[in-house]
Amino acid sequence: MFTDFDLMIKKGEFVSVVGSNGSGKTTMLNIICGSTGIDSGSIVVNNKDITHLKEHQRASFIGRVFQDPGKGTCPSLTILENMSLADNKGRSFGLTPGIQRRKIDYYRTLLEQLKLGLEDKTNLRVGSLSGGQRQALALLISTMVPIDLLILDEHTAALDPRSSETVMELTNRIITEKGITTLMVTHNLRYAVEYGNRLLMMHQGGFVIDAAGEEKASLGVPDLLKVFNEISIECGN
Amino acid sequence: MDIIIGIMRNILEEGFIYGIMAMGVYISYSVLHFPDLSVDGTFPLGMCVTAALISSGVNPYVACVVAFICGACAGCVTGLLHVKLRITDLLSGILVMTAMWSVNLVITRGSAVVPFYNKDTIFNSGAVSLLPDGLYAWRILLISAVAAIAVKLILDLYLKTKSGLLLRATGDNQQFVKSVSRDPGTMKIIGLTIGNGCTALAGSILSQVSESANINSGTGMVVMGLASVIIGTSIFKRLSILKPTAMVLTGSVLYRACLAVAMQLGLPTNYLKLLMAVIFTFALVANNVLAKGKKYETPEY
Amino acid sequence: MKRFFDNPAGSKSNKSNSNKRRSIAAVIITVLIFSLIFTMVSCNQQSGGNGTKVLNIGVIQFAPHPSLDNCYEGFVQGLKEAGFVDGENIKIDFQNAQGEMSNSDMIAKNMAASKYDMIVGIATPAAMSAYSAAKDNDIPVIFTAVSDPVAAGIVKSLERPEYNVTGTSDVLPLEAQLKMIRAFLPEARKIGVVYTTSEPNSVSHLSQFRELAGKYGFEIVEAGVTSASEVAAAAMTVVSKGVDCINNFTDNNVVNNLSSVLHAADGAGIPVFGSEVEQVKNGCLASESIDYVSLGVETGKMAASVLKGETKASEMAVKLISDSTPVYNSSVLERLGLALPAEYEGAEDAAAAK
Repeated sequence: MFTDFDLMIKKGEFVSVVGSNGSGKTTMLNIICGSTGIDSGSIVVNNKDITHLKEHQRASFIGRVFQDPGKGTCPSLTILENMSLADNKGRSFGLTPGIQRRKIDYYRTLLEQLKLGLEDKTNLRVGSLSGGQRQALALLISTMVPIDLLILDEHTAALDPRSSETVMELTNRIITEKGITTLMVTHNLRYAVEYGNRLLMMHQGGFVIDAAGEEKASLGVPDLLKVFNEISIECGN
Repeated sequence: MDIIIGIMRNILEEGFIYGIMAMGVYISYSVLHFPDLSVDGTFPLGMCVTAALISSGVNPYVACVVAFICGACAGCVTGLLHVKLRITDLLSGILVMTAMWSVNLVITRGSAVVPFYNKDTIFNSGAVSLLPDGLYAWRILLISAVAAIAVKLILDLYLKTKSGLLLRATGDNQQFVKSVSRDPGTMKIIGLTIGNGCTALAGSILSQVSESANINSGTGMVVMGLASVIIGTSIFKRLSILKPTAMVLTGSVLYRACLAVAMQLGLPTNYLKLLMAVIFTFALVANNVLAKGKKYETPEY
Repeated sequence: MKRFFDNPAGSKSNKSNSNKRRSIAAVIITVLIFSLIFTMVSCNQQSGGNGTKVLNIGVIQFAPHPSLDNCYEGFVQGLKEAGFVDGENIKIDFQNAQGEMSNSDMIAKNMAASKYDMIVGIATPAAMSAYSAAKDNDIPVIFTAVSDPVAAGIVKSLERPEYNVTGTSDVLPLEAQLKMIRAFLPEARKIGVVYTTSEPNSVSHLSQFRELAGKYGFEIVEAGVTSASEVAAAAMTVVSKGVDCINNFTDNNVVNNLSSVLHAADGAGIPVFGSEVEQVKNGCLASESIDYVSLGVETGKMAASVLKGETKASEMAVKLISDSTPVYNSSVLERLGLALPAEYEGAEDAAAAK
C-alpha cells in the first residue's frame, strides 16, 4: 500500500486528513497505532522509536478514538469505572481499590466540562448512554492521562448531525486547551477545513494536498472538492 | 420432618460446594465470556490431588490449598494455549480437559477411584473439634457454607480492585483494555487461573465429604456450573441487593434442589442427566424471556 | 443537548415493573421447589396398614449384569425365608447405578438422607458408596458380591467389621479356575486378563491369580481399564499380545461389557473363561462358578438378623462363600473345536439350559 511513505508532524499540530476510500487513511492510522505491521521503515513519536512496540504498549502515549462509539468504552461498566480505569493508564493494575473515592469529585469536574449532564450519572452503565454521549466520554477518557499523540479515526462519522457537531466542538476545545498533537481522519470536508492547522489529502498511499497554517486557512470546501474530482478523473472515473 | 431437614441440609451442602465451582465458572464464562471446558478436568484434579495428599497424611487444609493451586495452574495452561498459541477458547479448554484425564490417573497411580476413609479431613479434624456436640451433625454444612462465603467475599473484593475491574473490562471490550495500555491476553489468563482454582477447590472439598476421589466425577461439571450461573443470574437479576456471586451461589443451591426433588419423585438415575439438560434449557429460555427489551443487564458491583 | 438523553421518566416505570416481576418470579420459584420437596418427602413416609412399622430397605445394585441380578434375586428370597416380605413389613427401594460410581454415590446419599432402615450394596463400588453415605447416619449396611471388603476399606477385618457394615464375600476359586483352564487348554501358556483399576476386588484377585498361575505353568498378561469405553480396546490389546485365552474376575465393569471381550476373543479364535454361570450362558467357554443366588440368600438372612435386632452389623463376621461348581457351554466348545476334558464330563452344560 505504502511505498516510500514519509510523514512528519510537528508537536502541537492538529492535522486533518481527508481522502477517498482506499486512499490509505485508516491503514496509516493502524500502522501508527500498531494494529497493522510494516515491512520496513520506522515510526518515531517524541524521539522514541516505537516500531517494535505492540499496540497496547503504544497506547500508553497514543490515544485513539474510533468511529464506532462502542469501541472506546466498556458498556457494562459504569461511567465512573470507565474513567477510573482510564485514569490508571501507565500505572500498575494491582489489588488496590479500583475506584479511588477521593478522585470521584475530580472525575465529576471533568464530566462537567463535557456539558452533557453526565456528572449526575456517574453510576450509570455506559451501555445505556447514546452514541454521542459514549463518544464524548471516549474522547474524555483518551485524553485524561497526558499523551503524546491523539488519533481520531472518523470519530464523528457514526453519529447523527447534532451529536456530531457537539462532539467535534468538544474535540476542538480539548485539543486546543491541552495542546495535544492530533491526527484526525474525517470524511467531513467542512470539519477538515474548519478545524485544525494542517490539512492532508491522501490518494493511493500518497499526499496530494499538504497545506498548513495560512495556506490551510485559505482553503475552502469547494477547493477540496475540485481536487477530489481531478483525482477521480485521473483514475478514469 | 427429620428427613426433610436432612434433605434440605444435603441440598445446601452440595449447593455451597458446587457453588464454589459455579463462582469459578462465573469468572470465566460471565465475566470473560470464555466458555471454559477445562472445568471438567480441573474438578477431578482437585479431588485426586486431595486424595493423594490426605492418604499420605498431609494436613487436609493444606491439601485444599494445594488443590486450588493445581487447578489454578491448569487454568493458566488453558489461558496460555489460547493467548500465546492462538488456539480458540473452546479447543483450549477441551485440550486441557483431555490432558487432565491422564494427569489425574498419574496422581492416583492408575486407580480410577481412590478411597481414603477414616483419614483426617477438614470435616473430622482441626477446627471441627471445637464445635459443640449438638452441631456436629451439621458440620459439613457449616464448613461448606463458610468456605463458599469466604470464596464469595474474596471474589467480590477482588472484582472491586483495579485488577478485577480490568478483568471485567477484558470481557466487555478488549480494545478498551489495549487503550489503557494493558494486554487483554494476560487478563484472560488471570481470569482462567482464578476460575479453575475455584473449581479444583470445590472438588477438593467434595472429595473430603465422601472421603474418596473419582476421576470420572468431572463429566458434566461444566454444564452444572453453567446451569447454576445462568439460573442464578437470570432469576435473581434485578434483586439488586444480591451481588452476582451471591446469585450464582443461590443458583447452585436451586439447581441441586431441582435434582433432589426429582429423586424424591422417584426419577430413575438414568434420567438424571436428561433432567439436568431440561432444567438448563428452562433457565436459558427464562433468561431470554425476562431480558426482553433490555440491553445491558450485568448488575452493579 | 437534551436529545442526548434517553427518556428517563418513561423507561423508569418500565424498569421498576419488570424488577417487581422478576423478584416475584424468583421468590415463587424458590418457594415452589422447597414445598415440592416437602410434600414429596411426606408422601414417601409410610406406615404398615395394621400399625406395624414398615422398614425401608434401600438396595443399590451396581450394574445390570446377570451375576448381580442373581444376587438380588437371592437376597429377596433370603429375606422372605426369614419373614420379611416386600410390600408387607418391608418396602424395598431397588436402584441400579448402571455401572457408574457417581450414580451409586448419589443414590446412596439419597437413601441415607431419606433415613432408610438399611442400605444394601450389591458389588464393591455400590458397597463403598453405601458405606460412605451411611457412615454419619448410623444406618446398617449389608453388602454382597464384594470379593475383598478389607481392601475396599469398608470393614476393618472379616471376623469383626467394627464399622456398621457386614455382608457376604465371594472369594473366587482361583486355583480351581486355573486347573480348569489347564484341563481345557493343555498347551496354553499365556492367560489374558482385563480388569478395572478402580475395583479393589479385581486388583486383589489379579495379584493372587498371578501368584498361583506359575504353579500351573501360566504367564499372565493383563490390561487395566478405567471406564466402560476402554474395555474393548484393552481386550484387543491383550489378544494382540498372543494370549491363549482370556479369564474374567468378578470385575463389574468388565462383566458389564462382556460382549466387547467376547468379540475380541472370538476374532482371534480364543476362549474366554468366565467367573459365573451367567457369563458362560452368554458366550464364555467355562467357569468355576459360585452360585450367586445362594450368596444372595445368605445375605438376605444376615440382613434379616440385623433388622430383627438379633445382631449388630459391626459384630457380625463377614461370611465367605467359595464353593464352586464347574459349568461349561457346549456350543462354544464346539465352535472353538475343543474337546470336553474327562474330569468335567459331569459338569453342567449352560448351553443346554438355554
